[in-house]
Formats: sequence, structure tokens, C-alpha cells
Amino acid sequence: MILNMSRIRILGPRGQLQSVLGCVQDLGLVQLVEPSETESLSLLGLTPEQARHVRGVRKVVKDVDTALELLGQTPSPPKTAKDLDLRRAALVAGRCRRELEGLAEQHQQLEEERALILKFRPFFAAFRKIGESGLDLDGIRVFYLILKEDGEEELRRMRAAFRQALGDGFELLSQASESGESAMLLAVPAADAMKAEQLLSEAGVQALSLPDQFEEESVGSTIQRMQARLGELPGELATLERQRRRIAEDRGRELAGIQATVRDYLATIEATEKAVVTPRAFVVEGWIPSAARPDLERQLGKSFGDQVEIEAVSSEEWAGDTVPVVLHNPRLFRPFEAITGMMPLPKYGTVDPTPFVAVFFPMFFGIVLGDIGYGTMLGIISLILRIRSKPGAKLRSISEIGLACSLFTIIFGFLYGELFGDLGHRIGLHPLIFNREEAFFPFLGFAIALGVVHIVLGLLVGAVKMFRGDKRRAIGKGMAAMMVVLIALALMAASGMLPERFFTPLVIATLVALPILIVAEGVLAPIELVSTLGNVLSYARIMAVGTASVMMAIVANRMVGAFGAVWVGVLFALVFHLINFVLGVFSPTIHMLRLHYVEFFGKFYSPGGSQYRPFRHWSARESATDERSA
Amino acid sequence: MDLEMVFLYLSAALAVGIPALATGWAQSRIGPAAAAALAEKPELTVTVVLLIAIPETLAILGFVVAVLILMQGGG
Repeated sequence: MILNMSRIRILGPRGQLQSVLGCVQDLGLVQLVEPSETESLSLLGLTPEQARHVRGVRKVVKDVDTALELLGQTPSPPKTAKDLDLRRAALVAGRCRRELEGLAEQHQQLEEERALILKFRPFFAAFRKIGESGLDLDGIRVFYLILKEDGEEELRRMRAAFRQALGDGFELLSQASESGESAMLLAVPAADAMKAEQLLSEAGVQALSLPDQFEEESVGSTIQRMQARLGELPGELATLERQRRRIAEDRGRELAGIQATVRDYLATIEATEKAVVTPRAFVVEGWIPSAARPDLERQLGKSFGDQVEIEAVSSEEWAGDTVPVVLHNPRLFRPFEAITGMMPLPKYGTVDPTPFVAVFFPMFFGIVLGDIGYGTMLGIISLILRIRSKPGAKLRSISEIGLACSLFTIIFGFLYGELFGDLGHRIGLHPLIFNREEAFFPFLGFAIALGVVHIVLGLLVGAVKMFRGDKRRAIGKGMAAMMVVLIALALMAASGMLPERFFTPLVIATLVALPILIVAEGVLAPIELVSTLGNVLSYARIMAVGTASVMMAIVANRMVGAFGAVWVGVLFALVFHLINFVLGVFSPTIHMLRLHYVEFFGKFYSPGGSQYRPFRHWSARESATDERSA
Repeated sequence: MDLEMVFLYLSAALAVGIPALATGWAQSRIGPAAAAALAEKPELTVTVVLLIAIPETLAILGFVVAVLILMQGGG
């Protein structure tokens, strides 16, 4: 559900502003906003000197963020890091950033050098042999070329082109390498280098560029030096890595402390900028979850007595403003916020679909996979992931969703009598509702019925949500829900699932409801209704994907005995079951996500809510979460 | 097997085969565009998953129709 929010105004003596903001930051419950200015109130703002100071603080933040990013880790800040010595912080952050950027640059250069030499490596032997031909390289430019396999014809063409352009003023030597490609050495007078480059480009021949330090060397010594460098580079890279680790050990925690303190300090300055003041008083405004307001009142009352007042801002004053959204669901439903969290946040005052997703997603998943064996496997994997993940981490949510899905898969496995496909039937398990191997029609009917329930629920949720605002459209949504039910019942009566005498009254009721729907929702309502019926049919995928899954499992079981030796068949069956398990988990997940996002959410979901960002002490983890959700 | 059964199986195969080809074609167009979009904006993952899953409806409905043909025809 979406928590109720209150807009509050905190008033107090101007001299207490910083202390009050400190208290508000300690509590971390209020998202501050700029209050509206009036004639007697003006934004506190910053003096030019303060603005300069803020620029300095922002530079420290940038330095420390860059340094920690280059360290590649986020050490936990020391608990004592509270008082800010800005001069020292700037010094340490700036020096560490420069050192780490220098190391990173050197590391990149060495990596590039190694990559370049590695390009040459397959051709070392070939180029060395060419070099042994005693070519005199004084005053000439050398190109190292690689020619693909079967390049004899190309080599002849190149030789002819060079002869035509340069006469006899070039030397082209080639040698086959171990990989089958040809290493070639082209030597031309330095004055003809440009012309040679052009000819090579026209011939589409790849020239390997030599690292700068190897230029002007003889071919033999170049190769020798490159080989030597290849041996030296890992050592140099390791030295750089040691230096980086030393900085991480010596300064990592200090940097993390600086980051937390400076960002906290910056947040306080930014909060101060949002205050409006008179010569004697201050006013700050913000959003707070309504349930948390007594906590704030109690804490401010304890610290400042009756000097500080909190009052509610009436909704007329903030009508039209964007209210931040806080989702709060029972513990059992909370992991499913990961699924709704993939969509933009719902608008304030609308419906949080998480509770519905928490019920229907694992249930639909279980109906599709429905197998005791696969469900147990999924449960074990989810349990391992849950044990290995940290509380609050995304992996923890995924593992808990997996556990819910596995539970429903096992339940429906019992109802279908399936254990690794038809193995359950062979050991005496009997289907309690229907046998998916044969009962295509009942399974299809069941899937469509689920679609009717899900879509009608979505329409009703949308109608209830709209009822407070646009009553006419709410009636339209309700009417659409009723018509979906009427049409479904009429089809059941037509197909003999309900007594035939119901058919005519149901059709008449549908025809009566249609004009009401058009009046409520407009002339496009019938098209919308057809699209809604299409949405219902889309739930046939529950049957289609489920049937495919069970058929694959049956095929896997039939492999035993199909390959002569039993053990070969068992091996094939196990591999096939494993593949089917992976597909059986992946496919329903995607399809059930789609059913929720497209078919179900489309009936009531209103995206566009803004994230709740309370003014609180900075922490690296929360900051990362905020950035992801932004 | 009489000719009626041949046509029955053929129509079931076409009912699932043609939509499956259409789905494959649609996904082959969506896939590369989606991969390119994801490289630029990873936050579009949900949209991309939905876009790729949408054409699958064709194949699934084709499969359902094929099952109906086979069941009604007694195959």
C-alpha cells in the first residue's frame, strides 16, 4: 500500500535553525521542500562567501567520490567521523584522487601496450625470420602486416601495385605464421611512407601499429624487446595494483569517513537553503509519512520545548504538488516490491499493486509449472540463495519470491499429480483436479477463468480508485467488469457448462449494459471492451506454457529405455529434465510478468509517483539504492 | 490414414506454425533494437521484456487453436 503523507511546516526562532535541522536529519523522516515565499518571508539563500564555501565542499565531494570509485570498494566509514576538518578533508581527498588517477592512467597505458604486443605475438617467429634476412632499416619506414590465409593471390596483387607506384624502391617480405596467416614486412623509404599507407588502405590490408618505444629499431631487436616487455608487464601491473591496495588500506576508511561527513555537511547546507526566514524566525516545510509525524513532534518537543512548532499544511495549499510516494507492505508481500519496483512508482493517491502481485504471481507460476519435483528443486535453490544473500538485497527478494513460487508449484504438482512429469502417475500419484497430459479443454477453461477473475479484479480496483474523482468513468470501469463477467457466463451457457436457459437472459443483460458503458466511457468504449476480452484470452498462455512444460517432462521420462542401455537413457532424461527445469522457471516468469504488467496493471495502474527522499544522514548503500530507483 | 485426418493434422500444424514464424520474425526485429536500447538505457529492461513477450501471444494463441482443431477433429 501507499502510505498517507502529510505536508508539515516547522517554525522556530531563527537562531535555532541549524539545531532543528540537525535534529530533523538525525530522525531522517522529512523530505524538505521549498516553502512558498511571501512578502514577510524570504528564502535564506547563501551569501557570496557561503556560496564559495559550498563550491569548495562540492569539489571535495567530487574528489572523494572519484577516489573511492577508483579504489573499487566502499569501506565502511569509521564511527567517529563526525567533525569536519574541511581543509584536511580537501587535502586528503585531492591527493588520493590525483594518486589514484595517476595509477589508473599508468595501468591503462600498460594494458594497452600489452594488448598491442599480444597482437604481434602469433607472428613473432615469422617476423624474426624476416628480420634475419639482414634488411638494412636505416632511413626507411617499416610496416608490419598480417595477411589472412590463402593470401598468395593478394600478395601478388600488392607486389604489383607497389611496383607500379614505387618502382623497385620497396621490400616486401612474407613468412607464414603458425596460425596459417602470413606475417609480412613492408619496407619503404621514409619519403614514400604516405604513399605506401594509401596503397595498403586500398588493398584492405591490416597494418599492426608498433608501440612508440619500439620505433626506429631493427626488426630482430624489436621482436626481442617486445618479448622482453611481455615478460616485464605483469610485474609492473602487479606493482601498480600493490600501490592501489596500499592506498586502499592506508586511506580507504578515512576517505569513506570524509565522504560520509562531507556529504552530510552538504545535505545540511542544501537543507538550510530551503528554509525561509524573517529577521527573527525560520520556517521549513516538508513531507512526512502521516504515521511518523508524532515521532517528529515528540523528538522536537523533547529537544526544543515549545520554541519550535509543527503545523500541518492544508491540502488546498499543496494541491497539484507532487507528493512523494512511500510503499509499505506487510513482511510477506514486501519481496514482491521488487516486481512492482521494475515499473515507475505509482502516483500518490492511487493503488499499489504489490499485494495483488504477491498473491497472483506465485499462484500463476505454480499453475504453469505445477510439478512436485521441479517445485522442490526451485525451493532448494531459492533457500540457498536466501541463506547467502544479505537482508534488504535484491537477491534476498528474488529468493523469497522463488520460495513462494516453489510452494505454489508443489501445491499444484499435487493437484495435477505430477512429479517430474508423468513419473508421479507411475508411482501412484493421482491428479486431484485434472490430468494436464490429456485434459487440454479443462486446462484451457481454467486458464481463461483465471483471466476473467484477474481482469475483472483489475477493472474493479480501477473503478474503486476512480470513484473518488471521476465517478462517470468509475461507473464505466465497473460496467466493463460486469460485461466481461456476463459475456463469460453467456459463453459458458452456450457451451453447456451452465444450463441453457441462462443464455438468453445473459445476452439481454449484456445488450442492456452496452449503452450504459458507451454513455459512461464514450463511443470508443466497445473497442476498449473488445481489447479487454483480448486481454482475457491472453491468459490462455497459462495453459499453453504449462502444457509445453509437462510434455517436455514426459518426453524426458520416455528417454529411459529409448537408448538401449538404461543408464544412457537415465543420463539423457536427467539432462533433459534439467533443461526443462530451466525453461520451466524462465518462461513462466516472463509470461506472468507480462500478464501482470500489460493485462492486469493496464486496468488501474497510474505511474508517475516521485521517490521519497527524506533529509537524513548519508550512507553509501542508501545512496546507491536511491540512484537505482531514480 | 484417410485424407480428412491428413488435412486435420496439416491445418493444426499450420495454425501453430505460421504464427510461430510470425512471432520469430517480429522478435528478430525487436531483439536487436531492444539490445541497442538496453545498452544506452538499462532502466528500460521491463519495457524490453514486455516488447519481446508481446509477439509470443501469436504463437500461444496459434498453439491453442491447433489444440482445438486436434481435439474437435478427434485427433
